[in-house]
Amino acid sequence: MPLLTRILIILALGSLMTTTGAYAADGSPTITVGTQEVGLTAGYMLPHRLTQDHTTKQQGPAFMPSWMMTVTDPGDSGWYRGQVSIGAEMVYIQFQEPFLTHGLGFTPKIKYTFVGLDRIRPYAEFAGGPFWTDLAGKIPEESSRFNFVLTAGIGVSYFLTERAALNIGYRFHHISNAGTRYPNLGLNASLPFGGFSFFF
Amino acid sequence: MSQIFSRPLISGMLAVTLGLGTGCSHWIELEAPADTAPPASATVATDARVPLLLETIRVTHNGSSIAPPAILERQVLGAIEATRLFSQHYQSGHAQQGVNQARVTVRLSIDNLVEPHAGQAAWRGFLVGASMFTLAPFISLNYDYGSQMSLEMERWDGQTKHYTATSNGSARYNLFGANPEVVEQLKGQVTEACLSSLLNQVIQDSTFFLASSMPPQDRPIRTISVGVRRPSSRAVPVSRPLADTSPR
Repeated sequence: MPLLTRILIILALGSLMTTTGAYAADGSPTITVGTQEVGLTAGYMLPHRLTQDHTTKQQGPAFMPSWMMTVTDPGDSGWYRGQVSIGAEMVYIQFQEPFLTHGLGFTPKIKYTFVGLDRIRPYAEFAGGPFWTDLAGKIPEESSRFNFVLTAGIGVSYFLTERAALNIGYRFHHISNAGTRYPNLGLNASLPFGGFSFFF
Repeated sequence: MSQIFSRPLISGMLAVTLGLGTGCSHWIELEAPADTAPPASATVATDARVPLLLETIRVTHNGSSIAPPAILERQVLGAIEATRLFSQHYQSGHAQQGVNQARVTVRLSIDNLVEPHAGQAAWRGFLVGASMFTLAPFISLNYDYGSQMSLEMERWDGQTKHYTATSNGSARYNLFGANPEVVEQLKGQVTEACLSSLLNQVIQDSTFFLASSMPPQDRPIRTISVGVRRPSSRAVPVSRPLADTSPR
């Protein structure tokens, strides 16, 4: 496992352990309009070759620091009541296969969080933005280093305190260059992830 | 050469500063109240004032009953106290001085309507995000809040008067200007405006709540109350009286 990956995992686990100990006695989350969220998510990318033309098995760890702003309060009662958040996310992927390469992107993000279950809050999220990677050009699917990344995912947050949450979930990743250069088959992948968020 | 670079640089910095300033802005608009009665005022004798008991505050939030926040109870009592129409101010649950003494009992009902415009915020937020936040200064989000208050005031002899007031307001903010304080300020201002309108009507009826309108047959009740002694009969006023000269 690369040194960077190990350092980031140790940092993430250390933060989580500190959070749990420091805030265990706090109450339920109170997220309102204007509440900001910063988080760090990490996962491992697993390839999907959707057609016979897709041959690359790109995989590797991904790290996604994010910032979000809650823009609505929960609506009326109902299982679907929730809150909308808008924000942005940096995404760094270290492709370990088929070549050790890197990818870096910036994606605006929108998230809908279901709030009916108090501390356990499922959510759905969507993000998309520019993505640079030096993997492109070395594989048959992508030719240009400048690409776009689109992600759609679901997850669940468990609030350890009213201001800190543990997140796990799944995302589907798509990377392509929007037809600006060919070939442009696109890279698709699953990204199971875990992370934590702080609200202030 | 330096001028060629400095002009775009200065223009860029100005644009960024202006964009950030606009993108972080927020403002609150209050609708003018329906009743445009001028602020009422009256001169009352200090001795004629009676204590006031805030018996119940019932609060609904989009039709669902909620427990009244403590800060709201304090705000209501503070507003009533500021009128100086009553000698003392008590809240239900606290022991009172002389249970059967002449007083005015207040029951307040507050129906709050909240419209966070969730769908609109989601759509506009999506546009802001899709534009890589460049549209953040130009697209605002809304949060509407309305309050309808019904006040029932019961005099010591059982006569009651009802008052109603309505106030609405809206907070508009850009994405980076969103802040929990904005919504709290909106709620506070709407509540304050509604309370002011309500108490303005009460002031117009101020003579109705003064001890000078107390009928003589109330005096035996007062005599009874003096005789009652309870362990918890020690007065705990929520707010201090201006002058301890209330009629008995």
